Amino acid sequence: MFSLALRTLRFRTGGFIAAFVAAFLGAVIVSACAGLMETGIRSATPPHRLAWASAVVAGQQEFEMRKNSEKPKTQAVALSERVRLDRSMADTIRAMPGVSTVVGEVNFPVSLGKQPLVAHGWESARLPGPAPRADEVVLPAASGVPVGSTVDLAVQGSMRQYRVAQVSDRPDAFFADNVADQLSGHPGTVDYFGVVTDNPAALQLGSGVSVLTGDERGLAEFPEAQASGGRLIPLSGVAGGLSLSVAVFVIASTLMLSVRQRQRELALLRAIGTTPRQLRRMVLGEALVIGVLATGAAAALGPVFGGWLFGQFTSGGFISPAVQFHQGWIPMIIAAGATLLAVGISALVAGFRVGRIRPTEALAEASVPRGWLTPLRLILAILCFGGGTALAIVTLAVMTGPIAASTAGPAVMLWAIGVAMISPGVTKLTAILLQGPMRLFSGVTGWLAITNTRNAATRVAGAVTPIMLAVGIATANIYLQTTTTAASAQSFAEDLRADAVVAGPTGVSPEAIDRIRHADGVAAVSTYVSSRAFITAPFDENQTKKGYPALGLTDATTNAATVVKGNLADLKGDTIALPDAADVSRSVGDSVTLRLGDGTDRTLRIVAIVQERAGAEQLLLPAELLAGHTTSGLAKQVLVRAAPGVDQARLTQSLTAATAGLPVSVGDRSTLAAANAKNDETGAWVNYLLVGMIVGYTVISVVNTLVMATSRRRREFGLQRLGGFTRGQVLRMAAGEGGLIAAIGILLGTVVSAGAIVPFCLVATGRVLPDGPISIYLVIVATAVALALVAAVVPAWVATRTRPVTAVATGE
Amino acid sequence: MATGEAVRLESVRKEYGRVTALDGVSLSFPRGGFTAVMGPSGSGKSTFLHCAAGLDRPTSGSVLLDDQELGKLSETQLTKLRRDKIGFVFQAFNLLPALTVEQNVVLPLRLAGRRPDRRRVAEMLGHVGLSDRRKHLPGQLSGGQQQRVAIARALVSRPAVLFADEPTGALDTRTAGEILGLLSESVRGGLTVVMVTHDPVAASYADRVVFLADGRVAGELLRPTAAAVAERMTHLGAWADRTPVGGF
Repeated sequence: MFSLALRTLRFRTGGFIAAFVAAFLGAVIVSACAGLMETGIRSATPPHRLAWASAVVAGQQEFEMRKNSEKPKTQAVALSERVRLDRSMADTIRAMPGVSTVVGEVNFPVSLGKQPLVAHGWESARLPGPAPRADEVVLPAASGVPVGSTVDLAVQGSMRQYRVAQVSDRPDAFFADNVADQLSGHPGTVDYFGVVTDNPAALQLGSGVSVLTGDERGLAEFPEAQASGGRLIPLSGVAGGLSLSVAVFVIASTLMLSVRQRQRELALLRAIGTTPRQLRRMVLGEALVIGVLATGAAAALGPVFGGWLFGQFTSGGFISPAVQFHQGWIPMIIAAGATLLAVGISALVAGFRVGRIRPTEALAEASVPRGWLTPLRLILAILCFGGGTALAIVTLAVMTGPIAASTAGPAVMLWAIGVAMISPGVTKLTAILLQGPMRLFSGVTGWLAITNTRNAATRVAGAVTPIMLAVGIATANIYLQTTTTAASAQSFAEDLRADAVVAGPTGVSPEAIDRIRHADGVAAVSTYVSSRAFITAPFDENQTKKGYPALGLTDATTNAATVVKGNLADLKGDTIALPDAADVSRSVGDSVTLRLGDGTDRTLRIVAIVQERAGAEQLLLPAELLAGHTTSGLAKQVLVRAAPGVDQARLTQSLTAATAGLPVSVGDRSTLAAANAKNDETGAWVNYLLVGMIVGYTVISVVNTLVMATSRRRREFGLQRLGGFTRGQVLRMAAGEGGLIAAIGILLGTVVSAGAIVPFCLVATGRVLPDGPISIYLVIVATAVALALVAAVVPAWVATRTRPVTAVATGE
Repeated sequence: MATGEAVRLESVRKEYGRVTALDGVSLSFPRGGFTAVMGPSGSGKSTFLHCAAGLDRPTSGSVLLDDQELGKLSETQLTKLRRDKIGFVFQAFNLLPALTVEQNVVLPLRLAGRRPDRRRVAEMLGHVGLSDRRKHLPGQLSGGQQQRVAIARALVSRPAVLFADEPTGALDTRTAGEILGLLSESVRGGLTVVMVTHDPVAASYADRVVFLADGRVAGELLRPTAAAVAERMTHLGAWADRTPVGGF
């Protein structure tokens, strides 16, 4: 049967191009996603400054947290801030066998004019020459400052003068070691140690300390790279899985179409003694040849596409550029396996149909259309709709706030698959419903278009399904994103009771805060620090793996939280205000133990219980307490509330005047909102990229399906022309059908996306309709219509170019 | 226990929904006979052929092919039986367009997993007079040539019975004569041929004609001539007109 499959493939190349393109795209996308996943799993972050160190000793960035109160099971959770090590550990490390050099390093921000620099102690520069004295600095040669001159540097929010002792080829600034220790904001501790040793395996430093070697070393230097794996793995998994399921859809439908096209031929094979099994094997053989060819062609392009995607992620700020892209042979194997599997599944689906072809169809004058609603379709449709409904109920009943988006993605797929299963029926129904309106607008061609659509619902459904998928997925994903962004911006604005913000990249000094407080038109001033923390005792059932966002304030009137109990004015020293959502059975006056972002445990007295918006609960702490446990160790932002009657412009003006000469900048509310939105932007961007990928894929299948469906109707068009149709009428009829297909696809796609969006919006914003410009939807609709029209009219135009008699004689 | 019958139908009924296509047909076809089955449109000719050849299953009654009861066979067993014991020739030549003449002819053998015997294939192509067209694709042949390829394909596996469904329906008179000559020649070689047709001339090549009307056997004619068959058909048409089918 295999050689017959090969012969058929060669003879009917055209009919199989669609399946090839679909499988090829699937293989490329899956290979790229697998490459991104490999990158995420490896998280290879080669060191830059620490390239000389054979090992890096750093604090453990994760700890084991109990999962629930009953069982002793724990899970590893990541800490959000840098876990520092005591400087004295250097001696312990030096005493280990094989160790020759140990250098403790600190990182802190300084700025030279407008240019931000990272500063370290001289020891970690490992440069020749004398160490800088206490009032000296070593600057990058690229800064253009002459040696021996005196420069103004912004350090810890103040301007200080240093003499330039040396310039180096490094991009960083270096201070005397003891000066750096003081300026780092956390004297006595270092960020990590670079170690030169013959025997990295012998570095045994106990719990709480990790020894990084090889490509892991860079993780200490670039802590933001740590999150890359956590972002890339789920992202690539979702994108790869989604495009694979779309691939199965597309390949199965193209194979099915090619089977239907040669139904008579297959029936003849059955009549002359081919068993259903042999026919199925033939279809599988054809499909596998296509799959192998497609995978082979994709082998070269997969890594290129993966690298390009990765480039987009790093330049968009979603992934740290310190992470290295890695696409070895494993992703290719995965892509090949997954594609062949997808092709195999599609062939089985198509073969299922082949097996049921009756041999008598070879003898019949015309093949009788069979019922499309097979038990398999019905069961799948019921399962999918059930799943979609269940997800909607879960979303409405359990989910709060932005997390609700996590159920929306799978919900779209479930609704889409469910509708695809019953699409012939739905197509027919919709065609009947559109009959009236269509007749009003067009004459005989419109009537014929609608009759064709109604009577060939199964064929038409093949074209409707991809349009439905594209419209559904695009609409759902884009509006989910815009709604999430809008909801987040809305809640940020609601939570923030500030009219201006003063920010300093090296911190805001107490002097600056004092000046701001006394500036004209200022009602309240609060330092603003954000981090994350875990409640470790007593056990909090409501706490997730990510802990709670923690907000450090010096004046709680800049926050919108409603106090349920206690008083936020008492938020000073070792105190905390808990959201009422925390399930800890403690109240005002009791203590809770927190593990702060840098892994330090602090027991704090509860001074207030506050009520916050569902899904946006956060812990409120004194700014000073929280700032000491962040990576930067500094408060970099100050919130300012205007006195009554003072407008934004006047406030900004007075703040600018008050902070003149200090290394800070004054912004209004929108500056903070924009900074907050920037965080969402990366997520949005990734989402749009995914949508683009999947929709592009679906678009190709729409064109494929329509082109295949139309070119095989050459004879039908020929007959119509012999029967008195002009060429223009045939084209108008084709356009009518294309428009109808677009209309049905858009209608169904909108319904599908609504199945996911509406529950989400109800939870996230309390409204039925998503936030976001209507123009996006209009663009999606216009694209779908244009696509369907082009794909319907162009092949009809080509098919009617030959004389009708020839077209009729050529047959099917 | 071999009998003298190649195919035997016993009270075969076939209903499609409420329409009765065959209404208790009992017929037998002796080995080495050339029988033509005739009848006006809607008489059940095609259904008869489908049931007799194991392409379709009767609603009730039994079909014996080479002494084997078809009703008891599974779909796959039925297919294998068709492959081994039955040859088909259809009106619209029905060759696989992707395969050459030779490949089309050996296809039934390859489907059965048998090694194609080159001599046998060459002999079959010689028999139908297409030895020099082995490498051609069906699209490059005339209608009559395509039908001859179909006959070669039907005969290659030495079937017990050859079923032909209007084998000359799409051919001109002279080419049709050649094809029918080929069939009756095969019968002299021991083959059983059952041919469905509505062409009295085609039927006259057979040694027996069975008439169907309204799903029932309506008579038989031995050693027919075209004129006799035509006359019988005219009567059948009239008879069918007088007796409405199924109370329409």
